[in-house]
Amino acid sequence: MNTRSMILVAMFAAITAVMAQISIPIPFSPVPITMQVFAVCLAAGILGARLAATSMVVYTLLGIAGVPVFAQGKAGLPVVLGPTGGYIWGFIIAAFVMGAIVDRVKHPGYKTMLLAMMVGLVIIYTTGTIQLAKIVGLGPVEAIAAGVGWFLPLDVVKIFLAAGIGYSVRNALIRSGYLVQESK
Amino acid sequence: MLNDITIGQYVPGNSVIHRLDPRTKLIAIIPYVIALFSVNDWQGFLLMSAVTLMVVLLTKLPVAYVLRGLKPIIIVVVITVPLHLFLTPGETLVMAGPLAVTREGVSKAVFISLRLIYLVLITSLLTLTTSPIRLTDGLENLLKPAGKIGVPAHELAMMMTIALRFIPTFLDEMEKIMKAQKARGADFESGSLIQRSKNLVPLLVPLFISAFRRADDLAMAMEARCYRGGAYRTKMVQLKLQARDGIALAAMFSVMLVSLAFRWWS
Repeated sequence: MNTRSMILVAMFAAITAVMAQISIPIPFSPVPITMQVFAVCLAAGILGARLAATSMVVYTLLGIAGVPVFAQGKAGLPVVLGPTGGYIWGFIIAAFVMGAIVDRVKHPGYKTMLLAMMVGLVIIYTTGTIQLAKIVGLGPVEAIAAGVGWFLPLDVVKIFLAAGIGYSVRNALIRSGYLVQESK
Repeated sequence: MLNDITIGQYVPGNSVIHRLDPRTKLIAIIPYVIALFSVNDWQGFLLMSAVTLMVVLLTKLPVAYVLRGLKPIIIVVVITVPLHLFLTPGETLVMAGPLAVTREGVSKAVFISLRLIYLVLITSLLTLTTSPIRLTDGLENLLKPAGKIGVPAHELAMMMTIALRFIPTFLDEMEKIMKAQKARGADFESGSLIQRSKNLVPLLVPLFISAFRRADDLAMAMEARCYRGGAYRTKMVQLKLQARDGIALAAMFSVMLVSLAFRWWS
């Protein structure tokens, strides 16, 4: 890993930390839109598989070290080992897989982004639900109801929007010469 | 929001637990968690309660403050306790309408709640008594042997430090960009969901461009100063294991062995 990509990885970990704190409240729902998953998708879409996964490792380690980087300013090992921890370490796997999908396509467009993010979302929900079930001692049906049920429809909407934004940001970076498309 | 970011949750202090080597604290959590997940009877949980209480008291942190860390999981406990109480098959204790509370249900509810509460308590002590910088140092040190199988220990620690340094910068920048775009007529607060998310584009594009620009600048600055990774690098503060680290580890591993023995017995 050269110095520049090392720093970029750190930057995306920092950006993920910042985006995890933004929440847009939406009417008729207790769950606000957070930008955490969106940041993971962007990292994957821009950095590619290996670097994006590394940046999520850095993000998770920062949280474990006590920096309030997780959603709602949470931090510490309890968050990662606790009931909702699977959603966090799932980011690492999701970032890698999403990055790999985007890497495969030469000029990733909206549809590629959307596909990658759908796959990423499935991964994050799977790891999240598994840990929820294990820690809280729920059966598979109860765990899916608690971990997926309420949030999934909303997250699917979010994904459609995120793919659009991710595509615009990626294009802006390529246009301004910071991201070389063939370098990966 | 992320105001005292570099301190994180750390509460400065001078207790025995504060002074333990960060590596000791990180490793000691492993036998504790194994013990916590292997006990499954009243005696075992009595032991774990005693151990947990002792560690909490040793940190000399205000107990109320430590308990505040439990807030996020209270709701999980509240939701799952009735599930276990009513849905565990076994010997009926009380009938609550059509639902039966079973003996197995009661112990399962208590055990799983305690397990969750203790897990969160002990692991939160790690970050309450250790500053992020020291923990990063400890993590780097622990990961070093894994360097042989390709884990970049030094690089990970360096990236954590860089990220830590840039979080406040990006928060600042985000605010600045938001104000700048508002001054140009951007509207982040109203409109439909689609409209609002479209409004994020003029916020995020400058943020990412500035991130890339800063990364380029920093990379050049580091390379100009001959940065070349972890090899031959020395440290201002060296981690050194003390007698108390040995005692702490020995204590935690004996707790683990005792709890495993408990499980064997029953």
